Amino acid sequence: MPSAEHFALKYLRREALPTAFCPGCFNGIVINALAKAFEEEGVEDLRNYVFVSGIGCAAWIPSPFMKVDSLHTLHGRAIPVAVGVKLANPGLDVVVVSGDGDLGSIGLGHLVHAARRNMDLAVIMVNNLVYGMTRGQQSPTTPPGLWTTTTPYGSYEYPMDVCRLLAETSANYVARWTPAHFNRLKESIKHMLFRRRRGFRFLEVVAPCTTYVSRRRGLRPGEALKELLRKSVRLEKPGKPGSGGPGERIVVGVFKDEDKPGYLDLYYSYVERARRGGTHG
Amino acid sequence: MGERSILIAGIGGQGVVFAATALAKALFLQGLYVAQLQSYGAEVRGGAVLAWVVYSEERVSCPFTDEYDLALILHQAGLEEAARKNLAWRRAVVDSDLVGAEVPGDVDVYPVHRMAVEAGLEGRENIVMLGVAAGLGYVDLSHLERALASSRGSEENLRALRLGVELAARQK
Amino acid sequence: MRSLLTGNEAVAEGALAAGCNFYAGYPITPSSEIMHIMAERLPRRGGVFYQAEDEIAAINAIIGASWAGAKAMTATSGPGFSLMQEGIGYAVMTETPLVIVDVMRAGPATGQATKPAQGDVMQARWGRHGDQVVPVLAPSTPQECFDMTVRAFAIAEELRTPVIVLSDEFIGHGREVVEIPGRVEVPSRRRPRGRGEPPFDSPDPRVAPPMPPLGEGYYVLVTGSTHDAYGYRDTRGFETHYRLVRRLWDKIWLNMDKLFDYEERNAEEADVGFVAFGSTARSVVKAVEILEARGVRAGYVRLKTLWPLDLRPIRRLAEAARAIIVPELGMGQLILDVERAVRGETRVVGYNKVGGGEPIYPSELARFALEVLGRA
Repeated sequence: MPSAEHFALKYLRREALPTAFCPGCFNGIVINALAKAFEEEGVEDLRNYVFVSGIGCAAWIPSPFMKVDSLHTLHGRAIPVAVGVKLANPGLDVVVVSGDGDLGSIGLGHLVHAARRNMDLAVIMVNNLVYGMTRGQQSPTTPPGLWTTTTPYGSYEYPMDVCRLLAETSANYVARWTPAHFNRLKESIKHMLFRRRRGFRFLEVVAPCTTYVSRRRGLRPGEALKELLRKSVRLEKPGKPGSGGPGERIVVGVFKDEDKPGYLDLYYSYVERARRGGTHG
Repeated sequence: MGERSILIAGIGGQGVVFAATALAKALFLQGLYVAQLQSYGAEVRGGAVLAWVVYSEERVSCPFTDEYDLALILHQAGLEEAARKNLAWRRAVVDSDLVGAEVPGDVDVYPVHRMAVEAGLEGRENIVMLGVAAGLGYVDLSHLERALASSRGSEENLRALRLGVELAARQK
Repeated sequence: MRSLLTGNEAVAEGALAAGCNFYAGYPITPSSEIMHIMAERLPRRGGVFYQAEDEIAAINAIIGASWAGAKAMTATSGPGFSLMQEGIGYAVMTETPLVIVDVMRAGPATGQATKPAQGDVMQARWGRHGDQVVPVLAPSTPQECFDMTVRAFAIAEELRTPVIVLSDEFIGHGREVVEIPGRVEVPSRRRPRGRGEPPFDSPDPRVAPPMPPLGEGYYVLVTGSTHDAYGYRDTRGFETHYRLVRRLWDKIWLNMDKLFDYEERNAEEADVGFVAFGSTARSVVKAVEILEARGVRAGYVRLKTLWPLDLRPIRRLAEAARAIIVPELGMGQLILDVERAVRGETRVVGYNKVGGGEPIYPSELARFALEVLGRA
C-alpha cells in the first residue's frame, strides 16, 4: 500500500516545518539525501544518532528540523562538542552537519585535529561559499571574483580546499559532491554512516547559497544546479574543464577511503595498556 | 609547641623543593600538620629557589611567614632572594662553600659542599642540610629516613642525612 | 584517610571521589598537575581523559560529554580561562552540568605563568557576555580544594549549571594535610519523568528542569540560542527570552542559602575587619591573631563562595568596624563588592600586592591594620 505520507517525515519534526530556508536553498537536497540514506538502510528512527551543528544555515539542517537528539552549539564548536558526546558514550552515532564558515573558518583548528586523530565522527560540511545567515560575507571557500558584502569589489583571497587539506591527515574518508550529484551524495552518506563505521569521515557538499551567491549572479536554483554539474570534474580525471581555480571547476569524488583504526580503537588499546599497569613505552 | 617554620634557600638544581617536600613528609609522618610551599621560576633554570615548611600540632592557620625558626641556606642566590624579601630567622645553617656573604642572626656555618664531595655525596647537600635540621631537633631523623626511603638513590640520601646529623652534633 | 597533598592533587582526588569520569583539558601552568593526575587515573577506572587542541575545544568537549551523561570537568589557568568563557556561557544557557577549575596566576596576558594572583574574580563573575551567573567556590587550602571540588559536582548536577572552583598557584602548589573521607555522595542529575516533561523549564525557578539523556528517544533539542521549554529556538520574542534568562538567573540567586558559604570571626565586635578569600584569607587569619595579641579587636569574613555573594555578613562586619580592609593578590576586584555591601558607611581600603610569587604576609597586614586604625 502506498503511504500517504512523504517517507522523510518520520525523520523530521513536523511541528518545525516548513523549514526556514530560502526558497531554492540546497539544504533541502541535503536533508533529502540524508533521509533517503536512512530510508534505504532501513533505519526506523534516529534515536541512536546525535547530530551536532554549529552556527549558520547548514547548522539548522538538524536543529530543529530533524527528529533526532541534536546539539546546536556555539559558532565553530560543533566538532569538540561532538567529540565529547562520542567519547563519553561511544554507542551513539555522532554526525556533525555545519557550514564552510563554521567548520572551515572559525572552527578549522578543531576540524583538522579531529581528522588528524581519525576521530570517530561523520562530518558533513555544506559549503555555500559565503556566510549566508549573516547576509553573505566572504567565507574561506568564496571563489575569487565573487561579490560578497565584505568583498564588494570581488573576492581577491585564495580560497581553501578543505577536502585536500583533510585528505592529508589521518582521516579515513574524504569526499566532495554537489546537490547536482544527488545519488553520489546519498551513496557517500550511506558509506560514511553504514559501511565505514569508524574513524573520521568527511563529506563536503558544494551548495552555493541561493540568495547570496546564485541570485546575485542572476541564476535561478535550477540554473545553479546545472552550472554545478557543468563545472564539476571528477577527481580521477583532473584538469578537464577550466583550470583557473575552484571558482571555475569543482573537483568532486572520493579523495580518500580507508578503514584504519579510529580514535576510539586506539584509545581502547591505550586503556588496555594502562590497566595492565604499563606506563612508559 | 605552636607553629614552627623552616626555610630552605638555594638555587635551581640544588633540590631545594625536593628537600622541603621530604621535610614536609617527615613532619607529616611524625603526626604533625604541615604546609609546604615554594617560590621559584619554573621556566628559568639556575634562579634562586625558596621553599618553606610551616608545621604544628594543629591545622596550620597560615602557610606564609616572614620570620622562620630555622633557615637552611644552601646558596648565595637563595640568601640574596631571602634578603630581598626581608625574611628573618631565629637560627640559620649556612653552607660556607656556596654562601659568601655574612648571614645575620644565630648562625651555624659548615663547609657542607666540600664535606659532601669528600664523602662521595656531591649533589646531596640539600639532604645533608636536612640531617643538620634533624640533629638540631627540628625534625625526627627516623621520619626523615622514612620520608626519603623511596626516593632515588635512597642509600646515599640516608648517608647524607647521617653526615648532617654528625655536623650538628659537632656544633652542640 | 589522611594524605599530604597539593591543592591541585586535592582537586583531582575530589573530582575522582565525586565520580568525575570525563576530563578534557589543555596544558597550562599552574594547573597542569590536575590534568596529569586525571590522565593517569581516569583511563584505568573506565573514564575518559582527552587532551584537547586548545581550551576552547576542552570546554566544548566537556559540554558534549556532560550531555552524553558524564560527570565532566576541566582545569585551566588565566589565559585558558579567558578562552573558555564563551563555552561557559553556552553551558549556562543550555543548563549543562560542568566543573571548571581555574588555578589563578598573574596576568593579564601571559603575565607570570608560575606566580599566584587573584585577578580572575570578576572574570569568573562577568567573563561571559549577557545576563548570567555561575556559582564560584573559593578554596583556601588543599583540604578545601578536595571538599569544594566534590561540592562543585554536587551543585552542577543538582542545579544543571557550570560551577567554577577558583584556586590559585599558592593553593594549587602548596602541600598540606588533607583528610579524605572513605565515601563521598554526589547526587546525579534528574531525568525527565516522561517524554512530556520539559527539559528547559521548571515550575519552581529554584529547581533545575530534568536533563534528558541522549540516545533514548527524547529527541532533545539543545541550543545556545534563546529557546522555549522544549528547546525550540525563539530568537525574536520578548516573552521566551525574558522567561528563560530570568529563570536561569533565579536558579542561582534564589538558591543563595544553599550556595553561599563563609566563615567569620569577631564579626560583630571588630574595630578593624578583613574581607578575603582564597590564599590571602590564610594571612588574614594570622594577622587577626597578631592584632588580638596586641590588644586590637580585629575580625574577618572569609568568603568560601564568591558567587552568588551574600552581602549581609560583610555588612554586619562593617557595622561594628571602623575600617574594612580587603587584601587581594591584585589591584582589587573583590573590594568592589565589599564597597557595594558597605555603601560608604565604613571606610573600605584595599591592600594590594601581586607578582613574583610574593604572598601578603600576616605581619604586613597587621601593620597595615594598625596604620589604618591610626595607631601606627
